[in-house]
Parts: sequence; structure tokens; C-alpha cells
Amino acid sequence: MRARAVALATLASVSIVGIGWQLGSQAIDASHSLTASKSVSTTTVTAAADAAAQSGTFTGAVVQTQFGNMQVSVTIANGAITEVTPLQLTNRGGRSVAISNQAAPILRSEVLTAQTSTVQNVSGATYTTQGYLLSLQSALDTAGF
Amino acid sequence: MLVPAPRSRTALTFDTMGTIVSLRLGDRDDVRAGRALVEPVFRRWDERFSLYREDSELSRIARGNIRLTEASEHVRGCYALALEWRDRTNGVFTPHRADGVIDLSGVVKALAIAEAGEALTAQGLLNWSINAGGDVLVSGEPGDRFDGWEFADGAVPTGHRVAAPAVASIRTEWVVAIVDPFDRDGVLASVPLRHPLRAVATSGSAERGEHIWTPLTGEMSPFRQVSVFAADIVTADVLATAIVAGGEATLNEVTARFAIEVLTVVRGGQMLATPGLRRNA
Repeated sequence: MRARAVALATLASVSIVGIGWQLGSQAIDASHSLTASKSVSTTTVTAAADAAAQSGTFTGAVVQTQFGNMQVSVTIANGAITEVTPLQLTNRGGRSVAISNQAAPILRSEVLTAQTSTVQNVSGATYTTQGYLLSLQSALDTAGF
Repeated sequence: MLVPAPRSRTALTFDTMGTIVSLRLGDRDDVRAGRALVEPVFRRWDERFSLYREDSELSRIARGNIRLTEASEHVRGCYALALEWRDRTNGVFTPHRADGVIDLSGVVKALAIAEAGEALTAQGLLNWSINAGGDVLVSGEPGDRFDGWEFADGAVPTGHRVAAPAVASIRTEWVVAIVDPFDRDGVLASVPLRHPLRAVATSGSAERGEHIWTPLTGEMSPFRQVSVFAADIVTADVLATAIVAGGEATLNEVTARFAIEVLTVVRGGQMLATPGLRRNA
């Protein structure tokens, strides 16, 4: 299940990042509909004929994008997709989930929050000496004394 | 919510370049020594490059008292660096003001932060953070002697007014909070500054009436705020400014070309983020 969750998260990223880029027919030739995420988008994966009875792992074609080559494989058991594996994705620092470094829309609840809850510094638009007095950084520094 | 943590006695601040520098060191015994190293660096850069000081070298160049070709190696080197960044950003970042004056403030503060950090490292001080007006560079780790402030509930906070007991623990990462441009007490994200992205700078577009203007061209920017995480503070600072000025085209271009992470807030309040700034990324 974890693998599938990762795969779905991957597809969600693909869907969000790849605006204007369709995973579907170019990458994979099959016939299952896979909901990538609740609200973001749906990616269609198509299988060869007689899909309901199909089992096995299917590898899609390599798709060239401005961010490099992309390719995925899909594992289908008794007509249901059990796993989607990215074979070639732009890889940054071992984090292979993201297909590129392009900035994409993000919800507040999706933004990174450090596991440690301690914050020492605040970054905002540059504050002046006067503006500093009203800044969150000032509050942090005051606590530092 | 942000709450004060105990045993926090390693931060100090000083006024320079029209803003406040906050300096933190992992070991509280080093703070005074650290200030003695850092503050003169900022003073030197300010004295040479500030256009607010009539006697600065750059002000004398602006008035035509001395020619750029006669300027010090420092000024010429800094100008050359700014021109390099102009080329790298296809002219979106520029050291030339609309009135023809050479304004190097787009790189000077970052260069001062970088040199201040080098000065600390050269003296064997390896755990520090320097925050100059919201531009942050860190080294090493905060250590357990500095406890900073905490989000009491561990969640994205909504403000810092309410205090609650804090839990002390060993701190292994410098964490920077990105402020909410629509709520100066609110925080959009809290991001550990991990190798190699040890620097972050945030640029915003000033508001005039209902319109938001870029500092460079005077045209409306689609972005209210742009934060760039990079390996060095000059890259972070320059690219944050460039994205505000150049809009989405520049955003997409620089995220494809540079090893950076970016969090932008669009005028309507929506956010765009590179993958590394997502939860579970």
C-alpha cells in the first residue's frame, strides 16, 4: 500500500507540475482510469484490449520534456493498477518524486513545515530599521535576550 | 503559535545599511567575538556603497565626482558582478537605475552577509546564522544551547502573540520561517536550511494603492512576495529580486537553470512552490 501511496503522490506531483504535459497516451498505452489526487486532476492510463483481464507490468514510452526524459511503468493485477513506478524522472538530490524543479500551485497545508518546531530566523520582504521593530524577527531576537 | 523557548541568550542585533542584522551563534560564549568580526564588515560595505551616504564612493560616482574607471577595485569588482547577474537573468536584474545612477544595493547586502560569514568561519566559528533584513545565511547548526522560539503545536503558526510553555531539546538544524505578506505575524512555511541550500532571501513588491509595483521597472508584478533558497546568499538575493521583477517567465526560467527552491505568493494570495518546499518532498 505504501508503494501505491507513493505512486499516487508521484502522479499528483506529475499532474500538478506537468501543466500542459499529458502523461496519458504519450507515455503509456492502456485503458484504466487512475485518480491521481482528490482535487488536482485525473490521469488516464490506457491498456491494451481486454483490459479487465490484463495482468502484468507495462512500460511506457520515453517522453522527452524540457526537463529531461520521463518514463513510467504500470503494474496491473486482475485489471486493477497496483503500482506506478517512475523509471526516468529528473532526479534532484535523490528525491525522485518530483519530475522537475518548476514552481507549481501549492496549498498552504502542503507547504513544508520543519519537523523540529524551533525557528531562529524569519525571512520576509526586506524590512527597514523601523519596520524591524514590528517584525516577527524582532520578537525572536527579543526572546534571544 | 510561536512561544519563547528557555535558555535563549545567543542572539544579538545591530543597525546597519538601513536595516537590522540579527546574529546568532551556536555557542553563546562566541557571540561577542562574533559581533566584533561581523559588524565591521557591514560597516565597510555600507560606507563604500550606500547611496544614502553622500560621502560613499558610489555616491561620488553618481554625482560625477569620480569616474567609474577611477573607482576602487572593490567598486569595480562589485559592478562587474552585478553585470554578470544582469546577463544571467537576461537583463531582469540590473545595477542601472532608471535615472542612470549605478545602484549596487541589489548585491551589496548579500556580499556583506557572505563576507561576514567568511570572517566567522576563518576564526573557527562554524555554527552561526546571519539575518540582514530578512536575508539569511547559516552555517553548521544552532546546537542545544540556543533554543529559539517554538511553534507550540508544531503546526504552521498563525501568530506569535500567545505564549505557552516550550519544550527544550537539541537543535540540529537552522530553521527559517517565511513570513506571510498579508499578515506580518503569520508564517507561510518553516524550512530547514540544509546543505547545500544554506541561504534564503525574500523580495516583495511594494504596494501603492491597489497596485503592486516592481522595484525595477515600475510595472505591476504578479508576485507579492518571492523567497529563494540557494547555496549562496548572492544567488538567493539576486534571483528573488529578478523573479519579482520578471514575473512568471523569469520564475520558470531560473528554476530550470539554477539549483534553487522557490516559494512565491501571487497577488491574490495563492502560492507557487518548487518540489523541495512541499511537505514530504
